[in-house]
Amino acid sequence: MPQFILSRRTLMTASAALLASTALPSIARAQASGGRLVVAADSEPPNLNPAIVASNGVFFVASKVVEPLAEAAYDGKDGLAPRLAVSWEGAADGLSATFKLREGVKWHDGKPFTSADVAFSALQVWKPLQNLGRTIFKDLVAVDTPDELTAVFKFGKPTPFQLIRNALPVVTSVVPKHIYETGKIEDNPANIAPIGTGPFKFAEHKAGQYYRLTKNEDYWGENQPLLDEIIYQVLPDRAAAASALEAEEIHLAAFSAVPLADLDRISKVPGLQVVTKGYEGLTYQLVVEINHRRKELADLKVRQAIAHAIDKDFVVKTVFLGYAAAATGPVPKNDPQFYTPDVETYPFDVAKANALLDEAGYAKGADGKRFTLKLLPAPYFNETKQFGDYLRQALAAIGIDAQLVNNDSAAHQKAVYTEHAFDLAVGPPVFRGDPAISTTILVQSGIPDGVPFSNQGGYKNEELDAIIEKASETLDASARTELYKEFQKKVAADLPLINVAEWSFISVARDSVKNIANNPRWAVSNWADTAVEV
Amino acid sequence: MNRALRLLRRRLVGSVFVLLIVVVGTFFLLEAAPGDAVDAYIGSIGGDAGLAELLRQRWGLDQSTGTRLAAYLWALLHLDLGHSVAFSRPIRDILLERLPNTLLLMGSATALSFFLGSALGIVAGARPGSFRDRFLSIGSLALYAVPGFWLALVLVIVFAVDLRWFPIAGIETIASGKTGLARAADIIHHLVLPVTALGFIYLALYLRMMRAGMAEVWRQDFVLALRARGIPRRRIVLAHVARNALLPLVTMLGLQSAQMLGGSVVIESVFSVPGLGRLAQEAVTARDTPLLLGIILISAVLVVVINLLVDLAYAFLDPRVGASEAGA
Amino acid sequence: MSLRRFTRTPEAVAGVVVLALLAIMALAAPFLFPGDPQSIAGPALVRPFQDWAFPLGTDRLGRDVLAELFHGARTSLAVGLAAAAASLAIGTIVGTLAGFAGGIVDEILMRITDAFQTVPGFLLALAFVSVVGPSLGVVVIAIALSAWTGPARVARAEVLSIRERDYVASARVAGMHPLAIAFREVMPNALPPVLALSSVMVAGAILTEAALSFLGLGDPNRVTWGGMIAEGRAVLRTAPFLSIAPGVMLVFTVLGVYLAGEGIVENSAVKRGLA
Repeated sequence: MPQFILSRRTLMTASAALLASTALPSIARAQASGGRLVVAADSEPPNLNPAIVASNGVFFVASKVVEPLAEAAYDGKDGLAPRLAVSWEGAADGLSATFKLREGVKWHDGKPFTSADVAFSALQVWKPLQNLGRTIFKDLVAVDTPDELTAVFKFGKPTPFQLIRNALPVVTSVVPKHIYETGKIEDNPANIAPIGTGPFKFAEHKAGQYYRLTKNEDYWGENQPLLDEIIYQVLPDRAAAASALEAEEIHLAAFSAVPLADLDRISKVPGLQVVTKGYEGLTYQLVVEINHRRKELADLKVRQAIAHAIDKDFVVKTVFLGYAAAATGPVPKNDPQFYTPDVETYPFDVAKANALLDEAGYAKGADGKRFTLKLLPAPYFNETKQFGDYLRQALAAIGIDAQLVNNDSAAHQKAVYTEHAFDLAVGPPVFRGDPAISTTILVQSGIPDGVPFSNQGGYKNEELDAIIEKASETLDASARTELYKEFQKKVAADLPLINVAEWSFISVARDSVKNIANNPRWAVSNWADTAVEV
Repeated sequence: MNRALRLLRRRLVGSVFVLLIVVVGTFFLLEAAPGDAVDAYIGSIGGDAGLAELLRQRWGLDQSTGTRLAAYLWALLHLDLGHSVAFSRPIRDILLERLPNTLLLMGSATALSFFLGSALGIVAGARPGSFRDRFLSIGSLALYAVPGFWLALVLVIVFAVDLRWFPIAGIETIASGKTGLARAADIIHHLVLPVTALGFIYLALYLRMMRAGMAEVWRQDFVLALRARGIPRRRIVLAHVARNALLPLVTMLGLQSAQMLGGSVVIESVFSVPGLGRLAQEAVTARDTPLLLGIILISAVLVVVINLLVDLAYAFLDPRVGASEAGA
Repeated sequence: MSLRRFTRTPEAVAGVVVLALLAIMALAAPFLFPGDPQSIAGPALVRPFQDWAFPLGTDRLGRDVLAELFHGARTSLAVGLAAAAASLAIGTIVGTLAGFAGGIVDEILMRITDAFQTVPGFLLALAFVSVVGPSLGVVVIAIALSAWTGPARVARAEVLSIRERDYVASARVAGMHPLAIAFREVMPNALPPVLALSSVMVAGAILTEAALSFLGLGDPNRVTWGGMIAEGRAVLRTAPFLSIAPGVMLVFTVLGVYLAGEGIVENSAVKRGLA
């Protein structure tokens, strides 16, 4: 008798999704305090210490517990709002930066917060261990603490204060010295159950189920926090967040946990609001990475042809359903300091693209194909994969046969950034408020193999390298900004990579959640003024 | 009893070899994978080449393959499953936390598919060829042909989102502080949908086996004799035909356990049940070799134990089965 | 005679008809819908039965759903048949060797079979594809790896009963090489019960392929029904048809394979007088 031999079935989460900033007024004002806020979380980071792992997945939970020196703000000097630091100033020679710290702040275990904690965090954690701090603080040599509320950062080489300032919200989460000074920092239990100065204390983590944060009664902010408790419910399945919102099991799904395609429908569900604000400080860029070792792609005409073959408006409209903006170059349009529109552009023009390829000497063969390329879309977002599908079709229209290779994130990482086993790749680098943090690395030469989200395409342009080098030592903010405008022009003209679109995330929240999206990094800020109306 | 002990001993020795093959095989499979745990981790947070090297050293990934396999096996001898880099916790703790959820889900789903399946199988097999028989057979086949992920999604939308009879996700209400019976009731409430989805996939299996078994028994002489004696059909069906057809289903229970574990990957994902299936997928994505090895090991042990129990039960139920036929 | 018996089982006839239709779809796909079915043919998310240029509408990128369904039939059937054939081949060879050789070889091969059977098949396929990278060939191998143990056990059991038969003994006496006896004399006779598993194997393979594609582990250069469901899932509530259509195709295909397979097995069993 035949037996059923089965195997089968499944599904799983891929990742979240995205968008740019349109806007929806956040209903302001602090109402009744108290209550529990339940939000969806799609991942459980193994290390919750934001001083070591400066990533959105960690901040989403940990930023409520561990605070940075300053947070991004819509209004406020330098686009910043004070947190543990109340003022900051860079020396004219670029060799030091002075931070005045907040008075009367206590760690969750009751010990006072002082400049020694800042010095310890900077020298022992941010500089040697943190994914981004390793670059930004590479020239930091000492932190002087003349008194308990002053920390003076000393640099071995002139370091633009503009860069440090722009990086403050992301790289300066302060951890308690008295907890971390014994034993190896990487093995400290506080990396899993963080101790900070923030409005919420870390209460518990039930793996696979939830994180629970409770109100810090001794928080320095007056009458803050408003909430009694925040619960992060772990919902790895992408469809689950939308369903859970509709069923009123959760209040909020941030980081586009609700798929873009579902937003139109869900915005009409009574009691739910779609919020596109609150992510301006976290802009993702959709980029075609190019392997310049491939002889066809080393030819500028071919790269220009590919740029002309991509219909950016179609990508914005169809892949991102309008929740994105077409890109012109390596700095996103919504950046208030560095962006310039004054660059070479590549309007969608299939005929011109074909002509460029003919000119370059790659005539169509009998089968209508000029040559074959290997295309690796990054697996991190649905939209990068979908754009991969689109790009394959766009390239087919100009006679380039692109074969898609889908990998999971580890394999993609290895294939593109270590082994260079790609011709074209679709990547989602992040713009972090200053090109020096994670943008220039995308085109700079001389980067060792294996560095993720960096130039691994073998591209080398001495002029560009010189501009990047010069900007890294230019102390004057406006001169430095000018250099980065020059940088954008050069990149757009020479196309070491092709910037297609810029997007950010979307939140969906129940109407009862108040004071959301009130700063450009809201989802990863401290939520001290967030409230739930009962 | 003696026979059962012999069977037990023989099985245990065999199982050790089987588990060794599984562990070594899985180790090399993941070893062949492009990218390691550091690639997976750094892909999600970014960082420079120095950081990658630092992490590889910390996680022992700079050692050679052979060294790491030997170290893993040596630790395993001491019942140490190692440390998960993706969760930065001891693997034994993670597994012990997840195992009860999976057991609960699998056990309930198995019970559902077995009892409901065989009951419907009896209904269908009572009158082979009848309309009822055909309807149930084809209906169950159709259910069996429905992709599991699809069934789960439909259940969520209908019963959790639209009707709101059951919660959407999780194994219990979060941080509810419930204890005792209230907590048990809460867990049951959460498990209804996932158990239904997982159980229904395998229901057809038992239904059809039962029915096919009964069809065979109907043809046997003793049944004809019973019918000739004018014994009521209902009694023949239950007391004789179904009873004789039930035995093979018990064997199937053991064979199905591994499949059920595979099927639970999907179901646990859709319903966010923190069990082994979902964990396995996370381990593959994070290239967390020791964690995946731990999961596979524990599921293999589970499968071996279940099959052993089934065989022992079978040996008691059916004296014809000798300890020599201990293949499965 | 046997055809008449066959046609008396409406389920089996229905199964064969469904399969025939699917085969026609698969074969006709390149003629009815020439070119790449993944090419963007029109506006995105056209609803079905609205625009006769796209009878079943378009998906999120504006691809013709009907063309995708037709081409998807090719992939699904190809993967189903190839994976089932591979599983049956591996299973039969391993089973024959184990059963015929006996002793230590049998012991080793059966332990390996046990090992494969203790690991949840889907998990193995999942790990294999994510490790090697998704392409049609890899998916076929992954499915075969997770499904060959059933045929191996059946083949072994059959070989155990055959190897003691007279013609095998006489081949031994005639001095035939043991491997030749195993594969020329024994294996062909052990095949029928193994082949009886075919329909179940094909159906299982199609479902596994769909589940893998659904997880994003299908060949991205081909249309698959599972992949279509995965893509449609993001718009499940807005455009449910995008996930329903390929889902229905899957159900019909798997059902057709089961029904036809069962009809054929019963029919041949009757012919051989084994029923």
